[in-house]
Amino acid sequence: MPSQMETTCGSLLNELQIIWDEVGESDAERDRMLLELEQECMEVYRRKVDQANKCRAQLRQAIADAEAELAAICSAMGERPVHIRQSDQSTGSLKAELRAILPEIEEMRKRKKLEELHRELQALQKEKSERLKQVLEHLNYLYSCCSVLGLDFKQTVCGIHPSLGESEGSKSISNDTIEQLGTAIQKLREVKVQRMQQLQDLATSLLELWNLMDTPIEEQQTFQKVTCNIASSEEEITEPGMLSADFIDYVKAEVSRLEELKASKMKELVLKKKTELEDICRKTHLIPESDSAIDLAVDAVESGAVDASFVLEQIELQISRVKEEALGRKEILEKVEKWMTACQEESWLEEYNRDDNRYNAGRGAHLTLKRAEKARALVNKLPAMVDTLTSKTTAWEKEKGVDFTYDGVSVTPLTRGNAFDAFLCLPILKFTSGFCLLCAYVGPEETQEQLLTEQEALYGSKPSPMKNQSAKKGRRLSCGGGPSNRRLSLGGPMLQTPKADMMPPLAKATPNTRNAKKLNVHNVKLTKAALGRRGLDLAGLPINQHSFNLQNAREIESPIIRKPFSPISSTDSSKSSATNILEALNRKHNEMLPKTITSDSTPFSTPSKTVPIADVENRTPQAMAIIPSTPSTISIPMQMAITPAPAQMPITPAPIQKALIPAPTALKSVDEEIEYSFEEKRAGFVLPRSHPINVMQI
Amino acid sequence: MTVAPPSSTGRELSDPPTDGVSNIRFSNHSDHLLVSSWDKSVRLYDASADVLRGKFMHGGAVLDCCFHDDSSGFTASLDHTVRRLVFNYNKEDILGRHDAPVRCIEYSYITGQVITGSWDKTLKCWDPRGASGQERSLIGTYTQPERVYSMSLVGNRLVVATAGRHVNVYDLRNLSQPEQRRESSLKYQTRCVRCYPNGTGYALSSVEGRVAMEFFDLSEAGQSKKYAFKCHRKTEAGKDIVYPVNAIAFHPIYGTFATGGCDGYVNVWDGDNKKRLYQYPKYPTSIAALSFSRDGRLLAIASSYTYEDGDKPHALDAIFVRSVNEVEVKPKPKVLPNPAV
Repeated sequence: MPSQMETTCGSLLNELQIIWDEVGESDAERDRMLLELEQECMEVYRRKVDQANKCRAQLRQAIADAEAELAAICSAMGERPVHIRQSDQSTGSLKAELRAILPEIEEMRKRKKLEELHRELQALQKEKSERLKQVLEHLNYLYSCCSVLGLDFKQTVCGIHPSLGESEGSKSISNDTIEQLGTAIQKLREVKVQRMQQLQDLATSLLELWNLMDTPIEEQQTFQKVTCNIASSEEEITEPGMLSADFIDYVKAEVSRLEELKASKMKELVLKKKTELEDICRKTHLIPESDSAIDLAVDAVESGAVDASFVLEQIELQISRVKEEALGRKEILEKVEKWMTACQEESWLEEYNRDDNRYNAGRGAHLTLKRAEKARALVNKLPAMVDTLTSKTTAWEKEKGVDFTYDGVSVTPLTRGNAFDAFLCLPILKFTSGFCLLCAYVGPEETQEQLLTEQEALYGSKPSPMKNQSAKKGRRLSCGGGPSNRRLSLGGPMLQTPKADMMPPLAKATPNTRNAKKLNVHNVKLTKAALGRRGLDLAGLPINQHSFNLQNAREIESPIIRKPFSPISSTDSSKSSATNILEALNRKHNEMLPKTITSDSTPFSTPSKTVPIADVENRTPQAMAIIPSTPSTISIPMQMAITPAPAQMPITPAPIQKALIPAPTALKSVDEEIEYSFEEKRAGFVLPRSHPINVMQI
Repeated sequence: MTVAPPSSTGRELSDPPTDGVSNIRFSNHSDHLLVSSWDKSVRLYDASADVLRGKFMHGGAVLDCCFHDDSSGFTASLDHTVRRLVFNYNKEDILGRHDAPVRCIEYSYITGQVITGSWDKTLKCWDPRGASGQERSLIGTYTQPERVYSMSLVGNRLVVATAGRHVNVYDLRNLSQPEQRRESSLKYQTRCVRCYPNGTGYALSSVEGRVAMEFFDLSEAGQSKKYAFKCHRKTEAGKDIVYPVNAIAFHPIYGTFATGGCDGYVNVWDGDNKKRLYQYPKYPTSIAALSFSRDGRLLAIASSYTYEDGDKPHALDAIFVRSVNEVEVKPKPKVLPNPAV
């Protein structure tokens, strides 16, 4: 080509010289035109070279860029850029180099992209497993929750997402599912906590009721798993079904059963207390202020309208009030009774003196003689007795500001004026009135029997304690406390105004009193009549003896209130009073021990039934400052006992103790046999005093 | 998908003694637990980690043990010996001997002395710093009215309970004479005596399900506070079954106390408010010994037949370590009765 070009250029120059020759161009012109031609050629060359140069530079730039990109990708992927080495080795042209590097870049770009996708995949996989784990954890918790709460797990989770209930297959792990699971857990946890609290409240009630009523261990055992959870936290309760609605209902039923039992025991107790109050009134010849109030209260308890513990408390207060009152009356009462005995002896003596055969030496005549002797001495003392009685009564009335009454009869009007006569007439008055009223209101024998039966049905045929008090027999015969009471009890309409009814016979009797002897004869006859109706007398006794005045009872804060009933919990008074049901029951049980009945000082309810002997040991005479406040928590009062002084304490054989006490015989006769501890027995250790030391090496 | 229920009896230590446990004691410095047994061994556990740290074998049954410091302790043995154990070196030496089995042992941190009580009707006092050999270490021998059954220390006071229901109260600074000679308030044989942590008195338990709370103060006011209460009994078919009370342990912080009886129950009591605070679920057999850890957070319970009914089949000996919940041991002041009805 160049040669061709040179040829072309030469021929063109020849052609130009031919033209110039023909034209006749000057040499100078020809040189100038040739120079111009040369310069133009140079210009064209330069431009092309520049262009080529620029193109090369661009190529280099492209390679450099590609290399840079490759290096960047490689370094991003943590790989060694292999192409650099290759390019160093290669001696190819720039274009070849660029051609070589471009696919490499492409490759690396793809790899990079792949790697990015990988990373994304991994991240997603990780998130998936995390979510799955979370879901499973939630499900675990839900499962245990459901099992504790007795709920259907499948149903619960299927409500959130159907896939969750399946034991196999993939589970939904969407945001929504997880959120719903969280909500479900929150809800169940709330239910669980609420039910747990409910169960723990029930457990507390159970423990209290068990403690109150000394529920046997076997019965408690069924609910042991309830009570052992009393202090558990939410996480600790894991037993399936422990908080199920059924189970809680079951425990609830038990609590209400026990509460009913408690209520019935309370009622029993109320009736018992009522009887106690009646007994005290009868013994102290007090007339209750209002008879019907207590019956109304008892009725109310039976109908459930009034809390038994409240009524119990009122009766307690009433009892203590009556006791206190009795204490103040004791001295005068004793004097009245002495005097009545004297009167009775006097009347007996009267009859005896009229008996012409009294000196016949019959069987027991010497005893009768002796009695007559004593009776005479006693009759001589009568005026003095009356004097003392009068002054004492007056003093008492002055101090208290009220009349001193004996079985409802005010003594005051009698003691005024002729004290001696007045007093003499008292028993007669009673008999007269008693007799009259008996005739008037009871009437024929049948009616009496009927009444007797009714009374028995109501109050039981328990013989009055008076039967046992043989010492007071005389008094009963002479003054006829019985008939007098009967009057009050049987003469229903008269209950409200006993005094008013007393007045007319009193007025009649008074003028007659001057003839004391006559009256005394009359008295004896009446006594006999009264004796014949003793059965009725006894049955009629209890009804009128109670006084029940809620109003008064409330006001009185007597220090001799029986201790066990005083602790009243700040939370629930019924519970607190009931704490002692058991004790009262125990007491009932122990009624045969005379001291035990009145031992108001056993201040601790004993969770386990105490046998009398143990009781005696545990009695605390000064009623220990500690009163079992009702456990508002689960803590249980100790079965306390003031430390017995061993010196004064007889060693009681312990029939209650089973064989667990080592060698009970040895305990009984400490002096004869040497005691050994379990360890000594196990080691075969024998005291050298009686035997040579013999220690078995075990 | 279920969670294991929390153990109701506490964690059972692995590798327990193979025969009756005579006593267990926590260290005053750590959760280490020293256990003496009729299997002639003394074992040292790390109770919180459930690791047996050491084991010493004696010539006869070990009737009691106590810590000196965390690295050494003392034991009382049926073979009449009083021994010192050095745990780290697994070394032991004989501090001295009694004339009969040694029933109990105490170490006084105040006087640095070891006091032992024996069935030979004496109390002996030892100086553990003295070189081995009785003539060097024995400080004194003090005659007791009867065989020593239980002892307890608080401050400078030592209470010694013996057979025949004697109780002698000593001042450690003068052991020649008892400060007080008492008779147990309970009618039956003394099982255990433990001093109140506040140093004002001691609790004494008997074989007849009863615990007496006594006070050192001899004034009328002081003595009026004493009382006794019944525990570890049950009624079965109308009969009362009464169990011996083998162990008493006071909580070091709250002063409440746990009792353990042959009925297998551990009860926690609040002596000031006269209430039972807690009853743990029944253990397999008699509770032979109890110990609270130094901070009262752990209660070690030895469930181990105490031969109250002679040789008979019984559950295996075991030691349980309970984490003590505060509600189980915190005193509950009495609820004041509400005057308003």
